[in-house]
Amino acid sequence: MGIKIENLTVTFKNKITAIHHADLEIPKGIFGLLGENGAGKTTLMRVLATVLSPTSGTVTLDGIFYSEGNFEKIRKKIGYLPQEIDLYPSLTVQKCLEHMGSLSGIPRHACKERISDYLEKTGLSDHRRKKMRQLSGGMKRRVGLIQALLNEPEFLIADEPTTGLDPKKRIRIRNLLVDFSEGRTVLFSTHVVEDLAASCSQLAVMKKGEFLYSGNMRELLEQAEGHVWICKVKDEGAARELEEKYHVSSKQYAGGELSLKLISETPPQIECSSCQATLEDAYIYIANKER
Amino acid sequence: MQEMKIFLTFQKQAYAIFFAVILSLVRGITYSAEIGIALEPPMAILSLTFCADTYTQEIVSRRSEVWRLRPMKKRTNSIYRRIVVQEIFLLAVAAASYGLFFLFQNPKMNGMGQSDPESEICQFLVFFAAIAVTLGFWGLLSNLLSCLFRNMWIGIGICLMLWMITNSSIGDRCFGAWNLFSYTFRELENGGGFYWLRGKLLCIFIGFLTAAALPEIIEKRG
Repeated sequence: MGIKIENLTVTFKNKITAIHHADLEIPKGIFGLLGENGAGKTTLMRVLATVLSPTSGTVTLDGIFYSEGNFEKIRKKIGYLPQEIDLYPSLTVQKCLEHMGSLSGIPRHACKERISDYLEKTGLSDHRRKKMRQLSGGMKRRVGLIQALLNEPEFLIADEPTTGLDPKKRIRIRNLLVDFSEGRTVLFSTHVVEDLAASCSQLAVMKKGEFLYSGNMRELLEQAEGHVWICKVKDEGAARELEEKYHVSSKQYAGGELSLKLISETPPQIECSSCQATLEDAYIYIANKER
Repeated sequence: MQEMKIFLTFQKQAYAIFFAVILSLVRGITYSAEIGIALEPPMAILSLTFCADTYTQEIVSRRSEVWRLRPMKKRTNSIYRRIVVQEIFLLAVAAASYGLFFLFQNPKMNGMGQSDPESEICQFLVFFAAIAVTLGFWGLLSNLLSCLFRNMWIGIGICLMLWMITNSSIGDRCFGAWNLFSYTFRELENGGGFYWLRGKLLCIFIGFLTAAALPEIIEKRG
């Protein structure tokens, strides 16, 4: 059944509205959330994790309404990796996860087995005896993800799980999330477009608290088709002129010329050729499209 | 026990021990019967500062967001365990500090109605029971207030105000035997009088209420 969000609005005490009347359906499987900084992704995730109460609107998880009376039931189904979390610095990785597992009420033996399994899958087995304070940012992130996976949640919310990871580890975490999403719902946000391209078939794009797009990745790419152009210019001055007029998604020197990828609703007034849109191009196209 | 490593960090242990040593060095006493009086109010401050971050540490480090997903019973049990661990440690520090007073201050043991080693032991046992209640009360209260306001400094601040009111001659006049520091304000010459137990019973009663209110506060404010 998944998650259904209807007319959701979140306004903070300082009157800033982080989410405006948003509607979204998150089906089973892995679902990506893309958006610029301050788009409202983290706020949405905090609402879904029952950490934050919405100002108005409704949220349901497998048909269960998000309300105080149902929180206990909902929370059992959720695993959550917040954007920022500082797990017990004085504990070792193993002890820290055991502590989080015991807080979740997971039997000790099962908990240890799961910890070993996830440490292996995230490439942290060799670091299990290290203190949390001795870990790098990327390692801490992975431990954070393991604590969210420990109770085998039906709905996993991971706020930027790949932040601070090198490409190899990012791939490992992406694959772990894809495997985990079988029969479950995994919602993950990221700034790294390739992470979504490589793992999600469904995604939503947020900007200023609203959903600019939600649905199939293929359809998003189709929307951008015919709006991505490649052109070549001789000097930096000409490139700067183009940057002022159009959204430039890539820029590189090639054979003494500057090659620019432009995103434009209409064909640019310069010699150029149409090219295939990547997810990054589609994101820029959607995010900057006149609405 | 993970709680010990989480909440009895080296820094916390060091400042509590340092506090006890300095206190027994600088606080002058003449008779051994005065040790309890010298120790109770400062140990209350130590307890309220020591325990204020029992849960707020989870808020500061953003762990409270994942704590919320854990069953309420498990969460509150973990907090209670942390408080118990900290209080046991503080109780040991208080007992050691009592001994340090003998070492540094060399108090007279035959004054104020005390004359033999047996009564010295009784005196210590009474102190031990009273300080256990005091430490528990101030620790629980500061933790609860810190949770309520999601800020340990507010918890500490309110407790300090209450400490100043009750640990004063005005507090003694107003509350008498029901004062939270009734053990400190008791009549020393009166030897065996236990009228001050009322104040400690009040501490126990409020302490129980505080412990009982904790799950609700964590649920609403956690």
